[in-house]
Amino acid sequence: MQLLQNTRIPFPSFEPRETPPQFPSRGPGTSAEPNLLGRKLLVVDDDRLNIRILAGLLQTEGYVIAEANSGEQALEVYEGFRPDLVLLDVVMPGIDGFETCRELRNRYGVNAAPVIFITAKNDSEDVVEGLASGGVDYLPKPFRRKEALARIRTHLQNRILIEQQKLLVEQLKQANDAKNKLVGMAAHDLRNPLASIRGLAEFLTDGTVGPMSPDQLDLVKMIHSESQSMLNLVNELLDVSTIAAGELKINRESCDLAELLEKSVYLSNINAARKSTRISLQTPQAPVTAMIDASKIRQVVDNLLSNAIKYSPPASEVRVRLQKSDTGLEIAVQDQGPGIPEGERHRLFKDFGTLSVKPTGGEKATGLGLAICHKIVEAHQGSIAATNLPNGGCEFSIQLPA
Amino acid sequence: MSFEGKILLVDDEAHVRKFISLVVRQLGSPQIIEASNGAEAVEIYKQESPELVLLDVNMPVQDGLETLKQIVQHDPNAVVVMLTSLANRQTVQEAVQNGAVNYLRKDTPKDEILQALRRTIADCFPSNT
Repeated sequence: MQLLQNTRIPFPSFEPRETPPQFPSRGPGTSAEPNLLGRKLLVVDDDRLNIRILAGLLQTEGYVIAEANSGEQALEVYEGFRPDLVLLDVVMPGIDGFETCRELRNRYGVNAAPVIFITAKNDSEDVVEGLASGGVDYLPKPFRRKEALARIRTHLQNRILIEQQKLLVEQLKQANDAKNKLVGMAAHDLRNPLASIRGLAEFLTDGTVGPMSPDQLDLVKMIHSESQSMLNLVNELLDVSTIAAGELKINRESCDLAELLEKSVYLSNINAARKSTRISLQTPQAPVTAMIDASKIRQVVDNLLSNAIKYSPPASEVRVRLQKSDTGLEIAVQDQGPGIPEGERHRLFKDFGTLSVKPTGGEKATGLGLAICHKIVEAHQGSIAATNLPNGGCEFSIQLPA
Repeated sequence: MSFEGKILLVDDEAHVRKFISLVVRQLGSPQIIEASNGAEAVEIYKQESPELVLLDVNMPVQDGLETLKQIVQHDPNAVVVMLTSLANRQTVQEAVQNGAVNYLRKDTPKDEILQALRRTIADCFPSNT
């Protein structure tokens, strides 16, 4: 018997092993079928004869076996042996199989090896208790060899798949973190030079460093506006990577929301004027203060205003409204654009979720702005929503807790 | 308001110095002295005693915060404005605690930088207005 340990040669008196189910290939580097050869099984039974029978059967299958005669001994052997599966008798002197199984769960948590109970007891009450204590399966004694081996194979394969899955998730997480870090670094390094290109182009266009011909001016203005859009994109990428890395920090301080909106509307009006669009602001008489991260909420409002201008036809009116609501405060921005197509609504607040709706003045859309807004508002325990208005246009509203 | 004083502009990147110096020139006719690292900046400060220092935060060898500390140690009344690319709150707070009077984001449009500088000058040099 010892000679046959760790081999696949079937013991002559047993039926030939069934071909295990074929798993689809998962690409290079992984075997098509989880290899069960050499997997470790702990067999626990107070009856030595039972152990000998089981161990003999399992060794011929190529498994490595360790034995224990009691629950207490099983826990001891488990620690050093670290089996892939435990075959556990239920009725034993000392702590019984269920208790042993619960203790394994206690000690090793989700990483504990699957437990299959083997016992003469097989009424449904026992089955329920066995499964409740963390067992994955139940084999009534006397068991049929083929059935026992098939079940053991199944649970070992499950275990292997779970391990592979965990490893894969961990690898994906690391790859994603590395990607976020790379995007962050790239965006950060591109930002200063881009800001300088934009700034220097602005100096050329405004004549600070001398006059330019109309043609030269035309080119420099293009450099200015393109570097501006690149800078916006880089800033948004940087925001997205910061948020993805879980580094979005909200520093709350008391803030006058009407004043914040006034500033945003004032600056956005400069852009709006290029399309002859007007932004109106309606705020309550009494001051409205909130505990918010003012620069982050300002970023959200700026973004909503820029979108409203971007997607409304020239000479539109964009309305901004601040009011107290049932749950706190509401900031609403109404545009006169085409609204959100119902079928694309689910993409609205997702990263790179550009819609079929296009800017009306050749502006750029990265599909990141609203995703960032959504995350900033959520970090304030607020919500953001878009509603198409009955008479055309769309309203974006932000709800913030008071 | 026109600012005629000496301004020390410290940044390791030449394009930033070029851009900021163009902005600063619009303050009036200041004398602009440039430095490309923190150690050089401290030396120049000691020799020239500029009225205003514009100091980059992220620089190799000796960063802006360390440079700020050395300048303030030499002259507790130094007027230092930090230049940042990311307005990292912690860095800004640390700079203010160590004696910086304000900070500017380098990626803001020139008119906003100019506005902020005018305010800082009005606050720190009342006689200049």
